[in-house]
Amino acid sequence: MTRILVLVPFALDDEQIANRSAQTREITLGSNVSFHYKPVVAGPTSFTSPHDWLLLDLGLFEAGLSAEADGFDAVVIDTVSDSGADALRSVLDIPVLAPGRASLLFALTLGRRFGVLAQWQPALARYEKVLDEWGLRSRCAGVEHFDTPPDFANLLAGKEDVVVPKMEAACRRLVDRGADVICLGSTTMHEAHGHLSSVLDVPVVNPGPLSYKLIQMMLSLGLSHSRAAYPRPQVPKIDMIHTMLAAAEEVDRV
Amino acid sequence: MLAPFPLDEGQLALRRKQLDAAPLPDGVVVDFRPTKAAPANYVSHHDYALADLSLFESGLQAQADGYDAVCIDTVSDSGVNALRSMLDIPVVGPGRSQYVVACMLGRRFGIVTMWKQWFPLYEKILAEIGLADRCAGIRSIDVTPDNRTLMAGKDHALPLLLEAARALVEDDGADVICLGSTTMHEAHAFLQENLDVPVINPGPLSYFVAEALADLALTQSPTAYPPPQVAKPDMIHAMLDAAAAAGAADAGDDEGGGR
Repeated sequence: MTRILVLVPFALDDEQIANRSAQTREITLGSNVSFHYKPVVAGPTSFTSPHDWLLLDLGLFEAGLSAEADGFDAVVIDTVSDSGADALRSVLDIPVLAPGRASLLFALTLGRRFGVLAQWQPALARYEKVLDEWGLRSRCAGVEHFDTPPDFANLLAGKEDVVVPKMEAACRRLVDRGADVICLGSTTMHEAHGHLSSVLDVPVVNPGPLSYKLIQMMLSLGLSHSRAAYPRPQVPKIDMIHTMLAAAEEVDRV
Repeated sequence: MLAPFPLDEGQLALRRKQLDAAPLPDGVVVDFRPTKAAPANYVSHHDYALADLSLFESGLQAQADGYDAVCIDTVSDSGVNALRSMLDIPVVGPGRSQYVVACMLGRRFGIVTMWKQWFPLYEKILAEIGLADRCAGIRSIDVTPDNRTLMAGKDHALPLLLEAARALVEDDGADVICLGSTTMHEAHAFLQENLDVPVINPGPLSYFVAEALADLALTQSPTAYPPPQVAKPDMIHAMLDAAAAAGAADAGDDEGGGR
């Protein structure tokens, strides 16, 4: 049995985790593959500032640190921010799939330029960062948001009628700006993917399910990240990282 | 999987051996189909034009024939753009696929290849998808490739390929190695065993990408690859049938006669 660990970027309860794991229903899983969801023990409340990004990096780093020792064959980060992915790659040999860069890169194989659908104005800075880091600005037709605060626990539930038309309108603006492919800017948008891909004439990349397919492909082909790009620490401080997150969890509880 | 040359059964079997590189995804069957005619090799724009057209023709009916996706068995991605303008099913180029996957595994990739004559093929695709600055280098071993017998009789090439790949990593800064041709698949296992960085085998990668696209109900964008206003599939088939007939009458020229 191939076991894949999906790291969830918020401290969610079981029901909220179920909303996330619903993404696996959108693809055909290989036989003998199982996905296990693990939330961070602590992290930021919002996701709009470098303060938040840094806390999330640490939270996801800690959540995945023991993945290999726990018997998992691969790790998927369940956020397009790819938070924690680079740090995890430096300490794990098993593949760590980062859906943000994967979905933007994958879009390059489907069209000339992609557009990114963002949640709301405060989320835009994240995409600026990713586009610069990956040198993909010339391939990005634009980033458009649909002006709706995110609900990381319940996603779209109960708000579909209001939110989905706004998402569709933002996608159409991206197409007008020259996007050949739409990349959903968050794995939390997966519930709208079916509708958006049915009404738009361009492909819509759903980063969560894509990352599940890609990780199976990496495993089948025996591929993992390059040690030359993600060198190991000279002095790993695994215990320190766990201790820091346990302390963070205490603060959240109070 | 469209093989870019008219090949006999034995030659096709060498290409089919790529399927042994990894277990296929559940329920996937890969057929190999040769072209009716082809350039002798891929070293000139004359050849690229013929390669584009012959692979275009070879895949034109794939959707009507019931296939769910098309892969091209050449890293040049010849014919991909034209096929995408005619087919709704995904058309996968191993060249662009391996460069984007390499970027998921490291910062920069290097391409190791048989001879320098293939460099323009890589540069064209890298420019097309905007990843040229992610390519740390391209190195050749200057061994004349054989697109029919692949690596057979070329055991001396293996240490040279390893040396070139090491230079890409150590001198050029490549974190990931890409193979410069699907015909180099027989060298993949040897290179991967002897290198500490990931080595991508572009042919097998392409049919995994095809399966992922089909399962995700994704395909190339019609705005990037618009259909023609007037499609001329009959003309394209007639051109390749004529080329095949001429090739049969003039066997030998195919082996790169003249220059």
